[in-house]
Amino acid sequence: MKLSSSLKLGAVAIASVALLAACGSNSSNSGSNKQVLNWVETANLPTMDPSKSVDNVSARTLNNVDEGLLKTGSGNKVRPAMAKSYSISKDGLTWTFNLRKSKWSNGDPVTAQDFVYGWQRTAKPSTASQYAYLLDHVQNFDAVNKGKMAPSKLGIKAEGDDKVVVTLSKPQSYFKYIVGMSAAYPQNKKVVEKYGNKFAANAQSAVYNGPFKLTGWTGTNNKWTLVKNNQYWDKKNVKLSKINFQVINDQQTWLSQYQSGKADEIILDGTQFKNFKNSKELNKRELASTFYLDLNQQKQAIFKNQKARRAISMAINKEDFSKNVLADGATAPKGLVSTGLASRDGKDFADQAYVKAGTEYNLAQAKKLWSQALKATGKSSMTLNLVTDDTPAGKKASDYVQNALSKLPGLKIEANNVPFNVRLTRSTKGQFDVLVDGWIADYPDPISFSSLLTSTNSYNYGHWKNSQYDTLVKNAEGKDANDTGKRWNDLVDAEKILMQDQGIVPLYQKAQPQLLKSKVKGVEYFTTGAQFDFSHAYIK
Amino acid sequence: MAKYLGKRIFYLLLTLFIVITITFFLMKLLPGTPLTNEQKLSPEQRELILKQYGLTKPVWQQYLIYVAGIFHGNFGTSFQFSDQAVSYLISSRIGPSLLLGLQAMIVGVIPGILFGALGAIKKNTWVDTGTTIVSILGISIPSFVLAVLLQYYVGLKLGWFPIADWGGFAYTVLPTLALAASPFADTARFIRTEMVDVLNSDYIELATAKGLSRMQVIFHHALRNSLIPVVTIIGPLAVNIMTGSMVIENIFSVPGIGEQFVKSILTNDYPTIMAVTIVYSVMLMVVLLITDIIYGVIDPRIRLTGKSN
Repeated sequence: MKLSSSLKLGAVAIASVALLAACGSNSSNSGSNKQVLNWVETANLPTMDPSKSVDNVSARTLNNVDEGLLKTGSGNKVRPAMAKSYSISKDGLTWTFNLRKSKWSNGDPVTAQDFVYGWQRTAKPSTASQYAYLLDHVQNFDAVNKGKMAPSKLGIKAEGDDKVVVTLSKPQSYFKYIVGMSAAYPQNKKVVEKYGNKFAANAQSAVYNGPFKLTGWTGTNNKWTLVKNNQYWDKKNVKLSKINFQVINDQQTWLSQYQSGKADEIILDGTQFKNFKNSKELNKRELASTFYLDLNQQKQAIFKNQKARRAISMAINKEDFSKNVLADGATAPKGLVSTGLASRDGKDFADQAYVKAGTEYNLAQAKKLWSQALKATGKSSMTLNLVTDDTPAGKKASDYVQNALSKLPGLKIEANNVPFNVRLTRSTKGQFDVLVDGWIADYPDPISFSSLLTSTNSYNYGHWKNSQYDTLVKNAEGKDANDTGKRWNDLVDAEKILMQDQGIVPLYQKAQPQLLKSKVKGVEYFTTGAQFDFSHAYIK
Repeated sequence: MAKYLGKRIFYLLLTLFIVITITFFLMKLLPGTPLTNEQKLSPEQRELILKQYGLTKPVWQQYLIYVAGIFHGNFGTSFQFSDQAVSYLISSRIGPSLLLGLQAMIVGVIPGILFGALGAIKKNTWVDTGTTIVSILGISIPSFVLAVLLQYYVGLKLGWFPIADWGGFAYTVLPTLALAASPFADTARFIRTEMVDVLNSDYIELATAKGLSRMQVIFHHALRNSLIPVVTIIGPLAVNIMTGSMVIENIFSVPGIGEQFVKSILTNDYPTIMAVTIVYSVMLMVVLLITDIIYGVIDPRIRLTGKSN
């Protein structure tokens, strides 16, 4: 998923600063006994079609109204969902899921055929699913996706009504996360075909098999409600009767709604974060999202020199930037793979693969390295252009990086803040020298990041190449895929190489500090994808 | 009159056509597609999605299809809401915008007239100074600041009205007030100036000399005559409210087209941007047309046909 930092109208900034001083006066305690949660989104719900969802509002809603074979909860723990159990063949290629008895919200049974239908629908080209590639390890996916093979040839079969057998083309240890994502949800053929291209375009034209069902969504409105689904297999553990969602675009409005008790949570922006740093209701939500600099080796030969890349990294104080400039809960990154994404034997991946020199700040050393690199090119000065998003965070990054790099001898930086789409176009076409790029992991496995920097990946905008890195990532996806320990070490080693060689310059790890009313308990949070799961939430 | 009207409507349609053409080609110059995960898609898939949106045809064909579509009320499919027609997006959201606009117009203009008149009648007294200060504040405080102040004090502190959201008359109060401030102040200032002029004119002196009471003079002669020019500022006021609504709807989370316009710009939803631009243009042109017609009707000095001389 590409990251576009959400944009807000900055218009009320002045007024909000003035008003922020006083807060928390009018907390209403109405409805404290009712199991109703009031949640806020900053964007509309664009679709409820599991095959077509690309944004995190629909991902979040789908995650609470539908359910795949397995489900990922807090701490990235995978638990049984539609499948009560599953087994993996020794070669890691065949996954067998045993379904439990469960029903759609219209009373139809959820069968193995619904999974086969759903996956085939996601994979076939006419659906035009933008997240179909998540199923790319499933046998024949590529051929089906390109329309060269019939969808029925996809590596998923129903054995009777309650057994789903998936055949993979190569082992994928993180497949357990993939089967919990919306692209892999079951779909009720009868309903999909009944509504055609209006399927899941409003609350009535879809059916649900998860803890809640969607009501009140017309397809374009700013409010919708999830109500408890009485057909859900685990309904006795679902305590909330209703979750009201409302769209609020303005950060100050959101805070007022939170303070008046109309909203039970708020994701804070930088200014608000400062004011609520010590609040008891604050939850520092980490995101599996890293922002980093791509250094374009194809356009600027100097970046082929590791010293030049190291100099750029050492000239930027990431700690200072994230803590004092962004000041919205963001943290200094340890590498490309974000902290809190994956861990093994209690050790976080980012800690294990940490290379100090890859992110440390040392201006004197940076100057020295840069002079050497510059000298090697035979030039005495150079001007580089820096491309960033035109979002508030993008502008801050641009100012900070420009200022920091201008301290290097003979280096002048020209900054361009551009809209997200322009940034993407320029990235792909290589129209930049230095690019502030961002990535959010699709699933909680380091490979979601590591695969980006292999030499053939289209997201490797800087064209950094390292054959050892390529081999390690390839092994993790290939010969070591079934050996958890080896695979882990491959990826750790790859990350170390990336940072030692300074293939990219990590800038910051994004966070979304959230105030959550203390009466709200049991909301599950995870750092990727849908982020929130309300199935076990309740109001105390 | 009918001929004049026909001519005006012809020009209106011509202007609209030019607006459509310019907007269309400007949008084509901008980067961006409905694709969110462009690089992960196979070329076949990319082609297929673009085809669904009709973006694989040459631009001139897309233009003709677009213009032909508009006559059938078809503005294409939204990039942001992949399953929704833009026409549905707009029709489901125009109600709240029109309601707010109308309320703001009424709440702004009528008290504005009374306030302005009061200032003129009590010229150079503390009343006049007071009304002038209030209207200057109304003009100089931007609507989005007023909106936040209203939200904080009236919504959060006093708890009289909902802070944001939509769902009944109570929800319209704060956004209406925030929107009405500027038309209120404009009208008040305008009326005061007009009325001071009228009160100094000979026929007012005559009316007073004939022994009419002060009230009769003010209501039958002065205010009535000062009202005619007010009609001329209704057009600009409508523009004011429309542009204001984008910010105000955003702040109060009103599900209207102003809020949608801002979102579609932020998400590069070109079909929606185009359609909303067209809708705004139509609304504005219709308001101007109506203003001109009313002006001709109430002020006999204006000749609509231009033939009388």
